[in-house]
Amino acid sequence: MVAFRSTDTSGRTSGLLLRCVLYCLLALGLIIVDKRYDHLGKIRRTLSLVAYPVQLAVASPFEGWHWFRESVSTRDTLRADKAQLEADLRVARFRLQRYEALEAESQRLRALRENTAGVADRFIIGDIMDVDLDAFRERVLVDKGASQGVFVGQAVLDSGGVFGQVARIEQYTSEVILVSDPTHAIPVQINRTGLRTVAVGTGDTSRLKLPYLPTSADVQVGDLLVTSGLGGGFPVGYPVGTIVKVTRDPAQSLAEVEVRPAAALDRSRELMFVWLKPAAVQAASAADAATAPTSTAVAAAPAAPAPAAAKPATTKPAAAKPPAAKTAPPAKPPVKSAPATGATHP
Amino acid sequence: MMREERVRRVPMLISAFVALALAIIPLPSVLDQLRPDFLVLVVFYWSIESPRAGGLALAFFAGLALDVINGVVLGQHALALTLMAAWATHLRLRLRVFSILSQSLTIFMLLTLYQFILFWIDGATGNPVVNYGRWLAPVIGGVLWPILSAALSRARER
Repeated sequence: MVAFRSTDTSGRTSGLLLRCVLYCLLALGLIIVDKRYDHLGKIRRTLSLVAYPVQLAVASPFEGWHWFRESVSTRDTLRADKAQLEADLRVARFRLQRYEALEAESQRLRALRENTAGVADRFIIGDIMDVDLDAFRERVLVDKGASQGVFVGQAVLDSGGVFGQVARIEQYTSEVILVSDPTHAIPVQINRTGLRTVAVGTGDTSRLKLPYLPTSADVQVGDLLVTSGLGGGFPVGYPVGTIVKVTRDPAQSLAEVEVRPAAALDRSRELMFVWLKPAAVQAASAADAATAPTSTAVAAAPAAPAPAAAKPATTKPAAAKPPAAKTAPPAKPPVKSAPATGATHP
Repeated sequence: MMREERVRRVPMLISAFVALALAIIPLPSVLDQLRPDFLVLVVFYWSIESPRAGGLALAFFAGLALDVINGVVLGQHALALTLMAAWATHLRLRLRVFSILSQSLTIFMLLTLYQFILFWIDGATGNPVVNYGRWLAPVIGGVLWPILSAALSRARER
């Protein structure tokens, strides 16, 4: 540091040292305030508004190229696409018939258990912007932000399954941390056995791991992992991945389990931001806390007809929501849902 | 004097914005790890060539832009970049008479230190990036330096 003073005779060097120290102190102050107190959201958001045009400028040629390729595709490719889509739709419709019945049944059963844990309520679709963030962290930038109501911690899905969650929001963009990020963990359940555990990212988009399973755990290659809905961040029952490798070393107490993510983490362009039913999350945590005492089960029984009545309209979450809110108070009056209903009355 | 500085700032800002765009342009993930820190190189260039035009302020705000874009703790890149730009400014008279090879080596050293400061703050703020790939960027930055500085000099003369 001392060496800065003795360079040349232009008279600017002492100024250099001074300015360097000033800027460094400013930067250090920013680091400390940002890390410790988290008050810099506003500053960060303002700064990101300056960066947004650059990000947009970088992303727009790629958007333009996609648009161009879509608009000049030939009649034949369009027809082939259409045929393919129709075939897909037919298969999907066929499957949906079965799923609707299953969903209604599961809602009835859940209502019996009074546990509508984290059912997805509302979606918006966001597009991944063609912008690279840090190369060594598994994150993407999406073109929906605070102005669309996105919030930190929100669950993000793609058409295959769970994609990640919102790590940071700006005014018009948000940063989504992928399930494969090494700092990301998601509560999951093995669909076949109901065994609950936590899936942790590896830094590789094609791999997750289950580090907390004992060697004796009942897991097999091919088992489907779904979200367990514990923690309340993610909706329940969405596919997270499939187990592709189980290594059991008798000398170790924990098994090494590798999972292939269900979401197309490196290929998706459209993502769904999910809002959970607010009452449902509380019900889930309440149900976890009180391990099904008989009184709640009895009290919840009259609640069963309400979702059953709403069964024809299961695809409209707004219609299904009010009955759930109404039936919640008799089951457990003193919980958080009370202020919500109180707010609607006056 | 004022006029002169004002004239110099325009190419400086343009090159900084171009470098910022290059820093976030999407690349395949293999190349992405090899991406040199363009903005850092540009800041070094202006710190060496015209320190009076406010190279340090440029370094600080370029660093803030990198912080915001990378979504890391605010001030991380700003601190590293300010320190290294100050050092580059300090070395500028020697750097100008260095051979190309020594210039590249010096820039490589500065870039490595820059990465080290980032690495250190990453660890100190509790989200370490344990990946050896990040130490490749300085090598590539050093190799790229002669081309980049020649290109910037030529652009500045116009």
